[in-house]
Amino acid sequence: MSNPPSATAAMGPPSAAAARSAFAAQSAGPLGQTQAQGLKRAFEEAPDTPPLVKMNATPYAPQRHINDHYDIVGFISSGTYGRVYKAVNKRNNPNIQPAKHPSGRTIEAFAIKKFKPDKEGELQYTGISQSAIREMALCTELSHPALIHLVEIILESKCIFMVFEYAEHDLLQIIHHHSLLPRTPIPATCLRSTMHQLLSGLLYLHQNWVVHRDLKPANIMVTSAGSIKIGDLGLARLFYKPLHALFTGDKVVVTIWYRAPELLLGSRHYTPAIDLWAVGCIFAELLSLRPIFKGEEAKQDSKKTVPFQRNQMGKIGEVLGLPRKSEWPLLPAMPEYANLQSVAMHNPAVSRPLGLDKWYRNTIANNNYAAAPPDDAALDLLRRLLEYDPLKRLTAEEALKHPYFVGENGAGKPPSWNCFEGLETKYPARKVTTETHEIGGTGSLPGTKRSGLPDDGLLRPPVAKKMREG
Amino acid sequence: MAANYYDSTQAKYWTFTRPELLAHRTTLAKQHAALHTKYPLPDPRHINIYLQTQLTKLAKRMSLRQQALATAQIYLKRFYLHVEPRRTNPYLILATATYLACKMEETPQHIRLLLNEAARQWPELGAQDTGRIGECEFALISTLSSRLIVHHPYRALADLQGPLALGADEAALAHAVLNDSFVTDLALLYPPTVIAVAAVFLAVVLRPAHPAGLQAHSSSAAAAAAAAAAAGGPAMSAAAVQGAVAGGALAGFGFRQSPQRMGKLVDWLAESKVDMEAVVDATQEMVSLYECWESYNERACKEAISRFVRDAAK
Repeated sequence: MSNPPSATAAMGPPSAAAARSAFAAQSAGPLGQTQAQGLKRAFEEAPDTPPLVKMNATPYAPQRHINDHYDIVGFISSGTYGRVYKAVNKRNNPNIQPAKHPSGRTIEAFAIKKFKPDKEGELQYTGISQSAIREMALCTELSHPALIHLVEIILESKCIFMVFEYAEHDLLQIIHHHSLLPRTPIPATCLRSTMHQLLSGLLYLHQNWVVHRDLKPANIMVTSAGSIKIGDLGLARLFYKPLHALFTGDKVVVTIWYRAPELLLGSRHYTPAIDLWAVGCIFAELLSLRPIFKGEEAKQDSKKTVPFQRNQMGKIGEVLGLPRKSEWPLLPAMPEYANLQSVAMHNPAVSRPLGLDKWYRNTIANNNYAAAPPDDAALDLLRRLLEYDPLKRLTAEEALKHPYFVGENGAGKPPSWNCFEGLETKYPARKVTTETHEIGGTGSLPGTKRSGLPDDGLLRPPVAKKMREG
Repeated sequence: MAANYYDSTQAKYWTFTRPELLAHRTTLAKQHAALHTKYPLPDPRHINIYLQTQLTKLAKRMSLRQQALATAQIYLKRFYLHVEPRRTNPYLILATATYLACKMEETPQHIRLLLNEAARQWPELGAQDTGRIGECEFALISTLSSRLIVHHPYRALADLQGPLALGADEAALAHAVLNDSFVTDLALLYPPTVIAVAAVFLAVVLRPAHPAGLQAHSSSAAAAAAAAAAAGGPAMSAAAVQGAVAGGALAGFGFRQSPQRMGKLVDWLAESKVDMEAVVDATQEMVSLYECWESYNERACKEAISRFVRDAAK
């Protein structure tokens, strides 16, 4: 849910109206009061909403109102889709039943994702975006311990509110916490549990014909009880006998640093293996606390053709070397195969790659583990996830059976479902702000950033953009 | 879910027993007794034929994929289980169900294009504003409780084709029967497999025995089904179905035609875990639909609907 900020200028200049409202919010009254009002206003029907258009006596009237059931306690993050707020059950209302998880426990806190209407400042119903429809339908249908739990969806005031169970942390936040001085590695037990839970959730998705298409540390939540929860299914879709090639629907999927080589090479008919590549990148990032392939995204030109991501391909090549036909038989069939030759010209380092073994040994040596470091099984798993040929890359099912999880002869102790088990580290709670300018603005301006982290906005790549054909 | 109907929201929340469906509808009718008196409608099955045929026509006009159409048809059925039709403009619901289904099946259509096509087909829609489809989309999703992933029997039919060695004609006819099944409540009653088996059953049992009963003049069932669909008619005529019933085909596997063919089907059914009682019930539902279709009058349905649509627009 919490994406790194979009550093692209894809959203265009801020509208005058947005700038005005931001200004008004900042200048009016004592700050505390303004903050409360700003938060409240975000969840109320715009006062100038015209009377509902009569649909022959069936105007849309919501059955449930967000403000009857939830108290908004703050703002978490924003993205191209809209914004996310933290909320709790409505206080002082005896008629409201607290929300229950299917397992029976009471849900204490919520993350409410508010989708903004497609067009900014539009007081009209404009049709719900494809992305929101996917996320609503998939989250309603799916249920797994390693998937973020959807409590309900409320459609009100021309906005969609998806109410999720709140998760205190996410992997990006945890990586960041460990990279603060004094830098400490993520303990091996935590790493193993995290990867196991992540792959379990991914196996469930793939078994249900869902490919996530935007796995990255910021989209993987962690509860205070150490449960991993895959979030943000806004790019996810069903891939069972698609009516069109997946490429036709969305030209660009997966945030650049986590994008699989077959996607970089323009594959039209990619498979769930793209999610496993992303898992490999996340694994490496959990080990080294920085993205393993930190490339720069080539922007689309004015003709809207999808550019070849030479820089990103080069970053992968620096570690793994460039892909070769001998290891990946279908490589010459890739639409961007011809461009692959140009990578070495721009980035000579790909001809003398570091090699994943060396990358791994350097990383482990630099980490100064207090307890036992991850063993060589971890390296082997990483190598099989970062396999160039998508047909040879491990599936989620195979990965879960890897010796890293089950031991050399399958006799190892299975990883805990609590990734914090036995740890003393206390991770800081997610930062929740009540800054009004973040509420009053449009949430998509360059510079609005995911809160709770220092401004590494320019260092994080933009979220995968959804682009439609035509 | 997507892999397994039995874990899906369709199985959990949108599959009912016949008494449950009846109770739902009785309650709804009681709540709107005055509207029912003021705007009498023909046989509900005729209204269903009318609405589903209209939806099919819009899909044809826009060259939509079968799967998107089928999803729209299910949305329509689910929506009217909860909402009294006389309180709506059915044409707006049809257009919106199509708009939403296309997005859900990953073949999105622009809201403006959809509105234009719908308005051209149905002057009664009376909307030039895409905002009305957008608003209606909220109502539709809310009524469906955001449970938008639908399992269709087409996939099950495709899976049956090999094991049952269905010929192209039989498969095409079974496919056409599935198209017709959206008029009935079957999709609200049974898993997709049951409906697919019933369609195969009808196609295999009835076709070889009564080729003359098929509606079109062509000897090919595929062409017949296609012609019937193009004419907006059912895949089978009541005469064919009744002939088969009289021949005892549905009463308990007493077929005399193509014993080999039937033997294979019966063997497969016996081994499969398909609920045979449900298949028989579904088959009978289709048979009675084709009977009912004989007396269908499009004009009567259109006019009855126009009366409340017109009054509401005033």
